[in-house]
Amino acid sequence: MSLKIFFAVILGVGTGYFILPAEFSNNIGLIIDIGLMVLLFFVGIDIGKQKDILDKIKNLGFKVLLVPLAVILGSVVGSMVVGLFLNMKINEAGVIGAGLGWYSLSSTILLSNGYVELSALAFLSNVFREIIALIFIPVVAKYIGKLESVSTAGATAMDTALPVISNSTDPQTAIIAFITGVICSTAVPIIVPIILKIPL
Amino acid sequence: MVITLIKYLGILVIGGIIGYKDKLSPKLEGKLNTIQSACLLFLLFVMGITIGLNDEVISNIFSIGLKAGLISVFTVGFSILFVYLVRKFVLMGEKEIES
Repeated sequence: MSLKIFFAVILGVGTGYFILPAEFSNNIGLIIDIGLMVLLFFVGIDIGKQKDILDKIKNLGFKVLLVPLAVILGSVVGSMVVGLFLNMKINEAGVIGAGLGWYSLSSTILLSNGYVELSALAFLSNVFREIIALIFIPVVAKYIGKLESVSTAGATAMDTALPVISNSTDPQTAIIAFITGVICSTAVPIIVPIILKIPL
Repeated sequence: MVITLIKYLGILVIGGIIGYKDKLSPKLEGKLNTIQSACLLFLLFVMGITIGLNDEVISNIFSIGLKAGLISVFTVGFSILFVYLVRKFVLMGEKEIES
């Protein structure tokens, strides 16, 4: 599946760059939205077929929240660590990780705060994160763990990555992924400005 | 953001109810995975198109791409590590989320 995902993305990039006119991007949001809705509908069916799933999640209780917390901390710390090697300011590096894969939002926040180059870096880095997640979710789920596969996606675990997670793990992990994605998405507009303000 | 969330959650719940009540014909049920995979690959193809259409991204891929790529690899790597630690040391008793 990973290979198919990889080629689907690359084929899309090539088609967009070489074949389609720029005006095509006006319609693309709608196409993605419809595609996503259809997919989420089928993911929902998959989840619904597992009748004891809500009980299982209830048993886990608040511990489920540790997953998004670990994802947020891991993302910020990870980008801060690599920022050290790249000679970046620690808070500016951390802010990129704090985008959690939601490239449009994190880069917009940075742009509105006057960080043009950092905004481009955040955009691209979070686009890459989404692509890395989509390609490696099946691999991570198989060889490391299901929860870890959720962590690669960050904020996108509630939408674009959810079908891949659902496909590579089980319905219970899909629910945890959705919860994780929702919390991560909510966190992005909160933590990006905060980390930006930390004097590091 | 809120509307998007409600939309996604709503469609998931509708699908969930249909799945829970076994309203699907067995024929369609057997094809669920194929349908999902086909939709998914189409969606990824379209997302690739958005990247390919965005000249800013394409031209930046070569200039700041390496830096961005490194950061994303570390971001993903540490996310995996932190969740691994949580699963290993905090959730270790939970049979439900064994991998």
